[in-house]
Amino acid sequence: GLTCAHVVSMCFADKDLIYMCPFNAAVKGKVLITNYRLYFKSSDADVAVTLDVPLGAISRIEKMGGASSRGENSYGLDITCKDMRNLRFALKQEGHSRRDIFELLFRHAFPISHGLPLFAYVTQEKYEESGWDVYKPVEEFRRQGLPNNKWRISFINKGYELCDTYPTVLAVPYKSKEEDLRRVAAFRSRGRIPVLSWIHRENQAVIVRCSQPLVGMSGKRNKDDERYLDLIREANETTKLTIYDARPNVNAVANKATGGGYEGDEYQNAELIFLDIQNIHVMRESLKKLKDIVYPNVEESHWLSSLESTHWLEHVKLVLSGAIQVADKVSSGNSVVVHCSDGWDRTAQLTSLAMLMLDSHYRTLRGFEGLIEKEWISFGHKFASRIGHGDKNHADQDRSPIFVQFIDCVWQMTKQFPTAFEFNERLLLTILDHLYSCRFGTFLYNCESARDQHEVRSKTVSLWALVNSKTDIYLNPFYTPESGRVLYPVASMRHLELWVTYYIRWNPRIRQQQQSPVEQRYKELLALRDEYLKKLEELQLSDSTPSTRLANSSTPNTSSSNSSTPSQQYTHLQTPF
Amino acid sequence: MCIMRQGHKEELMEFSEHIKTANVEDVVLHQPLHPPSRGTLCITGHHLLFSDREENSTRQILLLLRNIDAIEKSVENLLGYSSLFSKADYSKRISGSSGTITVKCKDLRVLQLDIPGMEQCLNIAHSIETLSCLNDVSEMYPFFYRPSDLSSQDQWGLSSSEKYYSEHKELHKRWRLSSVNRDYSVCPSYPPAVIVPKDIDDDTLKKVAKFRQSGRFPVLCYYHRKNGMVIMRGGQPLTGANRKRCREDELLLQAVIDSSDKGYIIDTRSSQQVQQARMTGGGFESKSSYSCWKRLHRQMEKGKALQESLIKLVEACGDESQNMDRWLSKLENSKWLSHVQTALSTAGLLAECVERDGHSVLVHGSEGTDCTLLVSTLAQLIMDPCCRTLEGFLALLEREWVQAGHPFQLRCAHSAYSHVRLQQESPVFLLLLDCVWQLWRQFPLALGFSEALLLRLATEAYFSNYGTFLCNNDQERCALGVKEKTYCLFHSLLKPTEKEHYTNPLYEPTDLAIWPSVHPQSLQLWRGFFLRWTPQTRHLEEAQEEIRNMVIEWGKVALS
Repeated sequence: GLTCAHVVSMCFADKDLIYMCPFNAAVKGKVLITNYRLYFKSSDADVAVTLDVPLGAISRIEKMGGASSRGENSYGLDITCKDMRNLRFALKQEGHSRRDIFELLFRHAFPISHGLPLFAYVTQEKYEESGWDVYKPVEEFRRQGLPNNKWRISFINKGYELCDTYPTVLAVPYKSKEEDLRRVAAFRSRGRIPVLSWIHRENQAVIVRCSQPLVGMSGKRNKDDERYLDLIREANETTKLTIYDARPNVNAVANKATGGGYEGDEYQNAELIFLDIQNIHVMRESLKKLKDIVYPNVEESHWLSSLESTHWLEHVKLVLSGAIQVADKVSSGNSVVVHCSDGWDRTAQLTSLAMLMLDSHYRTLRGFEGLIEKEWISFGHKFASRIGHGDKNHADQDRSPIFVQFIDCVWQMTKQFPTAFEFNERLLLTILDHLYSCRFGTFLYNCESARDQHEVRSKTVSLWALVNSKTDIYLNPFYTPESGRVLYPVASMRHLELWVTYYIRWNPRIRQQQQSPVEQRYKELLALRDEYLKKLEELQLSDSTPSTRLANSSTPNTSSSNSSTPSQQYTHLQTPF
Repeated sequence: MCIMRQGHKEELMEFSEHIKTANVEDVVLHQPLHPPSRGTLCITGHHLLFSDREENSTRQILLLLRNIDAIEKSVENLLGYSSLFSKADYSKRISGSSGTITVKCKDLRVLQLDIPGMEQCLNIAHSIETLSCLNDVSEMYPFFYRPSDLSSQDQWGLSSSEKYYSEHKELHKRWRLSSVNRDYSVCPSYPPAVIVPKDIDDDTLKKVAKFRQSGRFPVLCYYHRKNGMVIMRGGQPLTGANRKRCREDELLLQAVIDSSDKGYIIDTRSSQQVQQARMTGGGFESKSSYSCWKRLHRQMEKGKALQESLIKLVEACGDESQNMDRWLSKLENSKWLSHVQTALSTAGLLAECVERDGHSVLVHGSEGTDCTLLVSTLAQLIMDPCCRTLEGFLALLEREWVQAGHPFQLRCAHSAYSHVRLQQESPVFLLLLDCVWQLWRQFPLALGFSEALLLRLATEAYFSNYGTFLCNNDQERCALGVKEKTYCLFHSLLKPTEKEHYTNPLYEPTDLAIWPSVHPQSLQLWRGFFLRWTPQTRHLEEAQEEIRNMVIEWGKVALS
């Protein structure tokens, strides 16, 4: 733990202080602060308390108590984290010990505010695979069967001139010309024109994503935009295009006042459906309420009604049920357009979840990495603004747990379909931990153009490098690939659960019992499965005609190029953690 | 047309007075998870049989009438309607009329039967109503059930006090097996043999029995091998308003512990409740008379309160309205999960006394036939790895519930849908199974049995082909010859063909105690049972099955 080879400088060490542990009594110990983490270890061997907090997870540091504070342990530091916990440390008043720690923490937790590089640029971690190759847009389109005679790949955004928050490679209707795209961009918020995210291999129905049309108070029309949407409909010869506006109807109307709006009746051959998903501010407040009832103390007497009053699960339900509607429409052969206001929060949630339901490729470990890279990172979910990496402005109204909510939805799906996902809960937890940690470049910056500018790919390591270097701990032993299967989770409150192992994981009393034996057992099962697959292969080699049992067996398809078997993925590497 | 098994012929004769219409053609059955189907409905003494008459598939649904908790029929509006017609039209109208019977089952399934002909519909409804609540145990189906794959020569049951005693040689120094109750005269709800302190003779036991409710004198139900401590259970002491004492009772408890040691009494009632109990002749072990015993009170709901909680929960689960934003409040208001929490935390307390503090414990409430058994069973699961295997768990249930005299007949007469005035119904056993499920969820490797077993038991307790859960106690079962005339459920569950289905493929025995987390955040609704008839739960069941098959297959091939 402590001897982290890749931390460039040990900034501060061996400071005695008291951790005001909310679950036990105050714990005396030593704190070690590096440019990556805050590490605390109790000095009393009987109370084994350790804390290991990446500085990136810190959203706020406050001094508590002044020089004249009287009460015991009332003088110290109060740290608010982005990952559902708060930390309190008490210090002695004499000397300048608090000032030193505070300044050190403040500087390294918020490097951007101090003109310092994020930790991802400092760390020297090396992995065999860089991780930046898990998603290559052109290859992904090819996997989907594109380009074809209806859809073409456009490089119009090569220099980010059309839209500075979009990726460079876009799939657009074959019949649309580059100048059409430019005219449509002028009518879509921030130039985020409708582009293809996913195409159904059999019925050719597509998921198209974009931002809201700039209708405004006067109800402006744009013939190019109308024609462009009709090209999308035409591409698979259906009579109607469905536009899902993720927002509640009233919000969409209100957006007209600021120049936005939604597609009106002038869009012939299109129907508009509002999905009633609330905006980033509502989601932020909802999660804040959830934190209030789970940290530090869990609500005991009225747990369920308190949980209900946070509305968190209700929001999860609405996101999931929106995605189900999208997936259902597409699998029944109708193309859909999805947008919200700017098309980088709710839209990303809906398209990525619908794709997860429709396409089993995204349910593999590498497929899921690609899905996040594609729908979230490349299409400009504003990670920097939503998370506030290295930024001291904890009250920034742009911050919002939209991506956390997406991962929550994925977790709900893995719970409902325990054999449908190649990855396990540990992967989801790891992703969320490094969403904040700033150790990897993966979630840094708001969009591709900013990432290019800051040379993220050449100067930082990808989270997927870490994950793919030791896949066995992220794999679900019971994964059964079923390529054609569309997963429809049940988005009813009755079947949704609070993700306790994430939101309440810091509480030692709630923590799932005996987690390690379970993980150990799953590891053994993975090994057993590998052994089984090996035997199976031998049998297949010795017998040229595969038996029916092999054909029916519910085990991963080893021949598929997409789903790599665990044995192929085992690349044991020395990692610092 | 009814393809009935042997034994049904006599059965049909016997119950014919209740069956005016035995067969109806052209009935439409609506059931969860299936599209509606048209076929023939047939009523026998114990079953409702529906045969699908789709070509090349003869699907049959055989429903034990005992499974039916309530029915609702709707033919009324047709009657009102018919008055508009002349006499001639009337009969025509009747013959062309139809009715609908909604069948609500104890396994929480809700079926709907559309029956042509109002009279037939009423006849069927009448038969179901009568035959589903026959009170005479000897007329119940287990006495008619003749499975081909079980022989009546099979031994009945898995465990008993005798067997437990002989398996625990460590007990023999200080404990003995008493047959004071061989003719059920000392305690009608106890089995003939019980384990008691060696120093206490049968005469003393008889006196103690008079001082304990329903004669349930304290008996040993668990021996903790790690430290030699025990769990005892019994009924409340009948101290009454005058604070009566019983020297023999005090002696018995003294004999449980060494004079230097102390013990705990866990009373499943609050200290207020036990004071009130004195007014009706009950009471508690006072500090002055039982100086070595420390009383701990944990109020547990039982009886009507628990039954009402179940009714509310099932109602909330069955609420099909789209407006589900109040679901969590409804779930909370049902209080079911807080009953689960109380049961698990009281069991945790009991286990802590024995395992961590190293003291023996006597547990009781008032009668000692409900919450007492719930707590002692859960504590044994927490502490004793032997109870966590499939066989061990069934044996535990047999000792702690069937033989210990949990009144299944009274408690499980009706479930959550029933319209009849509730008498002694209470889902204590269901609560136990729910608590065990919570353990199973929190410790996915520690229990040797599957969720499927818990689901099976949750229905078998209410209606069954087997005799295991018939009657209220051993004495009644003996009088009816249950062991001779019916088959044992536990043996059937352990048949090689069945057993695999009921084992946990991930099972890895551990000698450690499994301490459950009882915070509300750690407890979940047992969807597998309460939302059983939803497609999502069905999918999950199938996935569990798939995982089981996978693990078994890997083991076979990889280790071959």
